[in-house]
Amino acid sequence: MRGDELHELAAGYALGTLEGEDLARFEARLRGGDAEARRAVRQFEETLARVAAEGAEPPPPGVKAALMARVAAASPARQSDGARVVPLAGRPRRSVWTTVLAGAMAAGIAAIAVGLGISTRYERRLETLGQEAATLKAELERQAAVLAILRDPATQVVALNGLEPSPTARARMLWHEQAGGLLVAAGLPPAPAGKAYQLWAIAGKNAPVPAGVFKVDPGGTGSLRVAPLAGVGRVDVFAVTLEPEAGVPAPTGPMYLAGKSA
Amino acid sequence: MREPQPASVAAGLIAGIARGDRAAFERFYDAYSPLAFGLIRRILRDPEAAKEVLQEVFWQVWQEAGAYDPSRGSGEAWLVMRARTRAIDKLRSIRRREQTFVAPADERVAAAPETRRDDPALAAEDRGLAESALGQLSGPQRQAIELAFLEGLTQTEIAARLGEPLGTVKTRIRLGLERLRAAFKVDNA
Repeated sequence: MRGDELHELAAGYALGTLEGEDLARFEARLRGGDAEARRAVRQFEETLARVAAEGAEPPPPGVKAALMARVAAASPARQSDGARVVPLAGRPRRSVWTTVLAGAMAAGIAAIAVGLGISTRYERRLETLGQEAATLKAELERQAAVLAILRDPATQVVALNGLEPSPTARARMLWHEQAGGLLVAAGLPPAPAGKAYQLWAIAGKNAPVPAGVFKVDPGGTGSLRVAPLAGVGRVDVFAVTLEPEAGVPAPTGPMYLAGKSA
Repeated sequence: MREPQPASVAAGLIAGIARGDRAAFERFYDAYSPLAFGLIRRILRDPEAAKEVLQEVFWQVWQEAGAYDPSRGSGEAWLVMRARTRAIDKLRSIRRREQTFVAPADERVAAAPETRRDDPALAAEDRGLAESALGQLSGPQRQAIELAFLEGLTQTEIAARLGEPLGTVKTRIRLGLERLRAAFKVDNA
């Protein structure tokens, strides 16, 4: 290996920016006890410590007290300088076995404390990562479902027009029998307190089936993702009424939007 | 700049911490927390996040002081490397979270002023580095080292960000660090 290449790898390693094969190769060298590689890393790490020292900044108050309290609370078995353990020989009449047992217990407790500290830290990290993964997955599934609806030729597209209370309102309903649908509405007045807009799906001469409630932003725009409706196949009419916030089983309020499928 | 302490002071305190000496831990915190905190602050702009990482780093010092090997380097370097790793971990997790929750609001992402950070002169000035050794490097060398050390990018990511070949980036980082090493007279450390 050329000297330049060794130093390139050592610089990347010290900066934590080495990756893949370079990293594996260089770590193997360090593990193998390569004195030249170790020396190069050490020098670069010392260099970075000096770089850091140029930007030294007093820490905020409170951190030290919190740390000292944590140290005191988490490791009561640990002793500070002022309270050294009395050497065994100086102890009055105490069984060697008691001491050995106490020592073993203390070591066990310390090991458990350290283990707990480490596992708690990793559990926290795993939990955060897990939550992030779940959020991403849910978002991805939502988007995939919308895409599937858009792609399918069987998807109905229904335009809804504004009725008497808000003639300028408009909406588009995408509807797929198996996948459900998506409503996007614009130009609706914000729903009064305690009220929300409710979507209805009407097939033939059947009673309207509730398909979900939604609100609109101050600009009058709102959207609603609709899950597939049990017992509802092809829909002939979609309509939107103003109802109590929680939704109702059959329409009671004024109708704001309606559209008939082609 | 802080007066450098003899290397053995930090190493001696870490040895005390490894034995469970709380007084040594307190002295170590008093002497070296500004070193760690300055770096953490340069990596994480958010003061609350920086405070949290500082506490985690020193908690780790208390728990893992026994793993310190003086033959591998000074106590300061040991602390700095830990602080840097934890701060970059935090930075990455913040970035992941921001991407998860902010990405759907496309226009907000598009409006985020990312360009400012790409200007090395502004970035260095912003971090108070214009007068430092890092600030004395050539623009491209400093930029590559900053992206690695303070932004946590890999060499491939740096190459992509700067639109330069990977080999060029590797060379720049090496030359930059070698220049700093000479400036600080770190020889046979």
